[in-house]
This record gives sequence, structure tokens and C-alpha cells, in this order.
Amino acid sequence: MNFELSEEQKMIQQSVERFVQENYDLSNRIKISSEDPGFSKEYWSSMAELGWLGLAFSEEDGGFGGNQIDTLVLMEQFGKGLVLEPFLANIVLGGGSIKRGGSQEIKDSIIPKLIDGSLQITLAYAEEQSRFDIEDVATSARKEGDGFIINGKKSMVLNAESADKIVVVARTNGSQVDEEGISLFLIDADAEGIDRENFPTVDGLRASEISFKDVQVTSECLIGEKDKGFSILQAVVNDAILALAAEAVGAMEVLYKDTVEYTQQREQFDHPLSDFQVLQHRMVDMFMEYEQCKSLLFRATMETVQDPSLSQRTIHALKHLIGKSGIFVGESAVQLHGGMGVTEELRIGHFFKRLLVIDSQFGNADFHLDKFTSL
Amino acid sequence: MDINLSSEDLAFRDEVRSFFEENKIKSGEDYFSWRLGWFEKAREKGGWDVPKWPEKFGGPGWTPTQHYIWEQETAKANIPFDLPFGLGMLAPILMNYGNEEQQNRFLPDIRDRKVNWCQGYSEPGAGSDLANLKTKAVLSDDGTYYTVNGSKIWTTLAHVADWIFCLTRTDDSGIKQQGITFLLFPMKQEGIEVKPIITLGGSHTVNTVHFTDVKVPVENRIGEEGKGWTYAKGLLEHERTGLAGLSKSLVELEQLKDNARSIQRGNGNLMDNSSYKSKVGELEIDLLATEFTELRSLASAAAGGEPGPESSILKLKGTEIKQRIQKLTVEASGIYSSAWGDKGVGPSFAKGGTAGYLNSRYFTIYGGASEVQKDIVAKKVLGLTKSSSK
Repeated sequence: MNFELSEEQKMIQQSVERFVQENYDLSNRIKISSEDPGFSKEYWSSMAELGWLGLAFSEEDGGFGGNQIDTLVLMEQFGKGLVLEPFLANIVLGGGSIKRGGSQEIKDSIIPKLIDGSLQITLAYAEEQSRFDIEDVATSARKEGDGFIINGKKSMVLNAESADKIVVVARTNGSQVDEEGISLFLIDADAEGIDRENFPTVDGLRASEISFKDVQVTSECLIGEKDKGFSILQAVVNDAILALAAEAVGAMEVLYKDTVEYTQQREQFDHPLSDFQVLQHRMVDMFMEYEQCKSLLFRATMETVQDPSLSQRTIHALKHLIGKSGIFVGESAVQLHGGMGVTEELRIGHFFKRLLVIDSQFGNADFHLDKFTSL
Repeated sequence: MDINLSSEDLAFRDEVRSFFEENKIKSGEDYFSWRLGWFEKAREKGGWDVPKWPEKFGGPGWTPTQHYIWEQETAKANIPFDLPFGLGMLAPILMNYGNEEQQNRFLPDIRDRKVNWCQGYSEPGAGSDLANLKTKAVLSDDGTYYTVNGSKIWTTLAHVADWIFCLTRTDDSGIKQQGITFLLFPMKQEGIEVKPIITLGGSHTVNTVHFTDVKVPVENRIGEEGKGWTYAKGLLEHERTGLAGLSKSLVELEQLKDNARSIQRGNGNLMDNSSYKSKVGELEIDLLATEFTELRSLASAAAGGEPGPESSILKLKGTEIKQRIQKLTVEASGIYSSAWGDKGVGPSFAKGGTAGYLNSRYFTIYGGASEVQKDIVAKKVLGLTKSSSK
């Protein structure tokens, strides 16, 4: 067993860290977030040029043949700056679906453009009634002639506002909550019958509600086999959980370190706040939660790289702990910063919001505890 | 001990209910004129417009049980909004420490909801350690006015307030609790600058307030110079009791359960989910206990006067309960909890739920942070002292 990153991974880690330090101070982030399209196209191009967008794709697909550990390295550093660029939506969700199930033709037409940053994509899976159950799919894809007709609504779709293409999870068979009978389709985001309602999210990103009315797609747009899309979706969601958990660990590190620093500077009752034992213990708890999350992140990621079929239970454990500990660390950072913590003026509030959102994505702490205990 | 309401109490409850029913806002009625009319009618009932004021100052002189009934009914009914600053925070100080001239000058306008007050206590360097305040008030040579310079922070609704009651430092030679002077002055005047603070929920209710050479006549000083801390301290205990907001939490808990029941899961709903149900259950158990802690505290206050350090328990428990309700609302909203802004996607209760949760983090910070409340309980109730003075 070995927890050391490779030399290449260390170099990437340092270069992402530098990028975040140079470009992601709070005021710049707020500015980028508030202007369209909600992220910096310039930064996105830089990320492509630095090769980060191609890390997780195989060499046959034009990538660098990396795995979830490389994504972990990137996302943990992204988490320290609350990076807005849509890496998760493009590379992990959209790209992750295509690299797993796309035909050679789809791969050839999409993946190079994801790697060079010229194409924006996303995955639309959640629905109003589905809550966190990814197999709960009511959106239908009805076979007609050579193709399919898609009808339904998708919720909280990340990056849909900017997307050129959307990977849509639809039901081609079975009842609403069956794993069998789910299929994935690659659709043009401006295809006839698609309507997007865009809005900001709590963490300064963007999401959309999307409706599909008699949207026509050809059979060539299928990603993976018809009715067999669930296993792709499950693997993509697992990757997304690992990526978000890495981002959360980066965010938690900032929160506990900022809090330690602040309490050493802020004086009340003629002492620095850090003199008070009750506050010291709270910070020790924050630190321990951060370390524990990092351990479980490593465990789940290393298991997945080794054999994805054996890591499911650990992934549930990870998402549970990330949700619970992330909110604990966020709430504690705010509490220890006092009134200032509840304002938009310090960065900790923004990190807290991101951790809150991460808990609500791909299943919250309760959801994954239930899954964990039933496996 | 008897948990049953007496027939007099039941009659009182019915009277309160029918008063609320008869004076509901009618459709199309102007809110602000309805509001003032409502307080007028409440006054005619014999001080119902100022339930917590003593009889001597026009209050109703209710028993603790009647207060409890009133709290419960007001939490459920749609009654006009009221702000605590003048009515609940300044008024008791005026009654206890103000002179007759000051009482006659300020109390009627507070009672008529004519003047909005804000509270000038916290400062950038004086949060939980409130006595550390530095805003300076210097008495003029002829002894007729003070000149105030300094800054206040977290001043709720300062941007709409007409007057401020303010703790200022007139002497820094002794321990920091000494030399604090309690002044009242208008907000709309030269030398006062109000700047908004946007909270995590994205809203503007608190501010920073800067004073530059603000002149305050000595007639506007409450009590003696340098004794302001003593006056404010009693008030802080009042404030803490008020911050618990338990009756409102009981209503919100029921709303929370209804919201969770509206989320379909399989053949049931979210309230059938064991993890979620347990959290709601634990919350309700805490609420049941805290409600009676409040009643016991009210009863002992009625027998012996001022609320004591037990009010810290209520603040601790009450604010934590409010935060947990907000958190469970966020959880019930599921994937939609991350939507931001006015548009509102997902179930209707999800809209603004996360903003409410984020702002609720303030509950365990303002009015004395939870850590400080626990210090108060340790020291004043349990008699624990620290070997080094902190």
C-alpha cells in the first residue's frame, strides 16, 4: 500500500494549487459568478491547455490515460478556491458517460472537443419526483421508426445554460423505478422541443430545469445499449461522488485553517479567541472531521481504481461522511467567526455554501447511510 | 402542580382566539392601517397591545399561564408584525431606570408603534465581549451635551430606524464594565452613516453604523453617567428569553412535518423515512422539554421578579431548535435545496429554505454566542470559577 502521489500527479497538484491561488481570490470569484456564463472561458481554455481536461480520458480517446486519482488531485485543489469552471459537468458527468458507453463515432466527435475545451456538455438525470434515487426515471424515450421520441422533465441540471450537448437519462422500458429499461441519449441542447429554465444555485453556480417535448433523436444517439444505461449512470454518479468528495475535502481544509487563523487574531475578553478551550476543542473536531473525510476519500478512490465492483459500499460511506462532516465544519467555521461568519464578506461563508450544496447532490448524508446499511 | 388550564384560563384562550378572528385582515385592506388599527383595538382590551409591560405602565398584568396562552395563540394566528427593539428592549429600561420625563416622552410613541428603534450595542471589537465597547461619548464643558464618535455593528434595521439606544464609553479608567453610558438619539441626523451588511442568506437586515461628532443632549441619557452596563445587563436577560421563540418553533415544526409528508417516497412519504423521522422526533422531544423549561422560568420570574441566568438555557436550547428546523427544511427540499433566488423550483417550501437556514446560523451568535451563554450558566448557576480570570 502506498499513499504517495506520482511525480506527475505532484506536479499537477502544484500547478492547480498555483492556478487557484493566483486566480481565485473571493472578489474575483464573485465577479466571475455574477457575470454570464457564470465561469471564465479564459480559465477554461487555460485548463485545457494545461492538459487538465484530458487527464481522466484514455489514451485511445485522446486523453492522458489517468484515473479517479488524477481527478481527486484536481478536485481537491479546485475545492480550495471554489473553482466555478464546469469540470464536474463536462468531464466527470458528460464525458464520463460518453467514455463509458459512447459509440466510437460519438467518442470521436465529442471527447477531443471536451479535452480542448471547445465543447460544453452536461448530464440530465434527476427529476422532480426522483429526489436522490437515480433509477427513478419518468422521462420517456419512445421508439419510433429508426429513432426515439423523448418526453419529460429534468431537474437541477448543472451547466445546462452553457451546454452544447446534453446526455439525457430516459426510460425506454420497465416501470418508473426499475434499473432495467433506462437508456442514455446524447442530444443537441438546442434541439426542437427542449426548453431550459436557468437559475443560480446557492453556491454561485448555475443550474436548469429542462423540459423535453417530443424531442426526436436517432438510434445513433444512444450511449450504451438500449435499456442497459443504469450501470453507466451508476458508474458516472460514483465518479461524481468521488470528485465532489475531493472538492469538499479541499473546502474543509480552507475552513478549518481559516478558523484557526482567525481565532488567533480576534481578541475578546482580553484574550485571543484561540485561548478558550471550548473553541480549541471545536477546532480539533473540525480538523479531525477533515482528516477522516480525507481518509475515506482515499479509501473509496483507491478501491474504485482497483475494482469498481467492490467499492460501492465505501462510496456510500464516503458521501455520508462528506455530507455530515462538511456541514459540521461549515457550521463550526461560521460559529467561530461569529457575526462575520454569517456575512458574504468573508470567504468561509462561500465555502460553507458549497459544502451545503455538495450534500444535496447525488444523495445526501441520510440517503447514503440508508444505502450503506442496506448493502 | 396541575397541567390543566383552569376554566378562567380556557375562557381567556377563547377570548384571545375570538379577538384574533374578529380582527383578521380583510382582503383588500391596507396592511399598515390594519396594523395600527389592530394595536388600537388590542389596547382597548386592556393592554393587549403591550402584553409584557407591567400594569403600572398600561400592560394587562397577566399570569404566566396567560402569557403562555398568548404566545401560543399569537404564533398560530396571523397578527401584525411587531419589532422588539422599542417595545421589548428599551421600554423595560425606561421603566426601570429612566426618569419620569423620559418615560412620558418615549413610551407613548413606542406603544403607538410610531417610532422605530434600533439597538446600538455590538461593535467591531465588542461582540460576545460586549463590555469591551469603544464608541466614545464626551460631555461638553458646559455639561449640556455629549459628542459621540465610533462604530456599531450588527445593528438590526438601523436603515429604517428613527432612533437608537446606544451604549457609549464615557470613561475608560476603570474596569471595562464601568464607564459605560446609555444614550438615546435620533438616527436621521448629520454624522450618522449606515452601511448594509449582506448576510449569507442574501438579505439586508443588519448594518454597520458610524458616528462622527454626533451631538446628544444630556436629557437623553438614561440614569447616571457610567452606569449604562448595569441598565443594559438586565435587558440582555430579557432579550435572551425573547430569543427562544418556542411557540413559533412549535408551529414551524408542524409545518415541517406537513412539508415532509408532501414529499412522496415509494408508497409513503419522507416522514416514513427512518433517519428523517428520527431527527424530527428528537427535535420535537427537545421542544417539548424546552417549552416547559420556559414555563417554569416564567413562573419563577412571576414569583420573584426578573428572569435570572436560567434564561441562558432557553436561549441555548431555543436557538438550536430553530436552527434544526431550518436544517430539516433544507433536507426535505432534497436536490432543490441548492436552487437560489426568487424563481423557486421544486416544492414550494424549498423556496427561501436554504437562505433561511444560512441566516439561522446567526441565532447561536447574536444576543451572546452559545459559548458565552454556557460560560454564564457555568459561572452563575453552577458556581464554577476559572482559576485564571478570563
